[in-house]
Amino acid sequence: MKTLKTMISNFKRYSFLMRQLIIRDFKIKYKRSVLGVLWSILYPLMIMSVMALIFSNMFKFSMEGVNYLVYLMSGLIIWNYFSEATNNSLTAVTGNFSLINKVYIPKYIFPIAKCLFAGINFLFTLIPFLLIVLLSGNAAEGTKCTINICYLYIPIVFIGALMFTIGLSYLLSTVTVFLRDVLYIWGIVLTMLNYFTPIFYSITILPVWLQNILKLNPLYIYINTLREIVLFGNRPTILYLFSGLFAGFVSMVIGMIIFRKKQDKFVYYI
Amino acid sequence: MIKIENVSMKFNLGVEKDNSLKQVFIKILSFNRKKKKKKEYFWALKNIDVDIKKGEVVGIIGSNGAGKSTLLKVVSGVYKPTKGSVTVEGSISPMIELGAGFDGELTARENIYLNGAILGYSKQFIDEKFEDIVEFSELRDFLDVPVKNFSSGMTAKLAFSISTIVNPEILIVDEILSVGDIKFQEKSKTKMMSMINGGTTVLYVSHSLESIKTLCTKVIWLDHGEVKMIGDTKKVCEKYYKEIMGR
Repeated sequence: MKTLKTMISNFKRYSFLMRQLIIRDFKIKYKRSVLGVLWSILYPLMIMSVMALIFSNMFKFSMEGVNYLVYLMSGLIIWNYFSEATNNSLTAVTGNFSLINKVYIPKYIFPIAKCLFAGINFLFTLIPFLLIVLLSGNAAEGTKCTINICYLYIPIVFIGALMFTIGLSYLLSTVTVFLRDVLYIWGIVLTMLNYFTPIFYSITILPVWLQNILKLNPLYIYINTLREIVLFGNRPTILYLFSGLFAGFVSMVIGMIIFRKKQDKFVYYI
Repeated sequence: MIKIENVSMKFNLGVEKDNSLKQVFIKILSFNRKKKKKKEYFWALKNIDVDIKKGEVVGIIGSNGAGKSTLLKVVSGVYKPTKGSVTVEGSISPMIELGAGFDGELTARENIYLNGAILGYSKQFIDEKFEDIVEFSELRDFLDVPVKNFSSGMTAKLAFSISTIVNPEILIVDEILSVGDIKFQEKSKTKMMSMINGGTTVLYVSHSLESIKTLCTKVIWLDHGEVKMIGDTKKVCEKYYKEIMGR
């Protein structure tokens, strides 16, 4: 209880530092680029257009009565956030070693800062995403999406995804300190996960036993809940909302415990 | 007040050796199966037991590798001691390495905020003191230049100005008394003196016995991680000088 209290007061005290770290990341990311922050919107838009072009025209992916573009995008935005946040946080601790070794800073803010940085980028991608939702589709084929009251559930999905990523980031940034190989291993894991998450295909094309395994993937839960809302205007089931939050919570607690246990050893290993 | 109780600090030396697969392969391929008993760790600090009262200016002397900087880092919280405990009452301003976290890509203005945040200042505080920092650093014309284009002297001036803007209760100083050109050296030295003499508790590491003698009320002599002698400035300094030069 006491540690929780100090954690919260520390968190308040260092939130300014966290903001500064995020601002630093932003400034460095767009240094010397003409379009600057505009890239945060343009880049995902372009990438998504390429993906959409490839999957719907070259591979002829489509779904009966479903707006495939929106289907693809809703998977992609969450996936991209996840992959960016976890990739960045691999080096959240090791990359800030010059700081950790010189001044006292609570180390747990580094992985969170990376996740929030990716989170802000994610919020930018919502702008092109909403445009696609509004502009694509064909009313005659029943693939027209509309913004509906169920959108109010979307923040719950995002919070779950954020917690899930933060937990994983804690884990990854800790393991990287002791085992740099993770930098490469995670790249492979991400590629695998990418295909095992139904982003551009429908889970129903898989055998049932495989479906059941894939449904355990929290990313599937987040993506699927978002699709229910955006594509079909359905109220997401309590089970999905709850299991998404629960997975996020469990991941965050486990990540934090591991990080806390190991953080005093970081200075010896970097 | 700083209470250092029975602090020991162990560093692993062999850490790099065994934790990568590459090393294991090299070991196998080199047919070097002889098990050399290498020392895998060493104690940078051994059973340090020191009490520092409020307002004391304590000098720390000793040869390179004696554990002086390690002790400072343990007190400022960067390292957690392997054994023992450190209790610190009051706000600490560590001047161990200036400009920690400066980012070359960012401008001086942005770095003031970043570095200030790293040192634990609030936004409000930096806003208030921004003018003073700029004024002291004499870098007003370069505020919007990326720090990577600064000369080392300019970077040091900026870093010094940010770190010394506070009035901390405890000041931890590692060798830094003055930086920059002659004029700035004088200015920064005066600033440091006023901070040290202003009733703050100071932990001061230096190789300059002269400055230790003029500043400190008490001296700790560290040797291979242990306290060799502690007490009156003059006595410790004399004994230290004799022993070092006599070797």
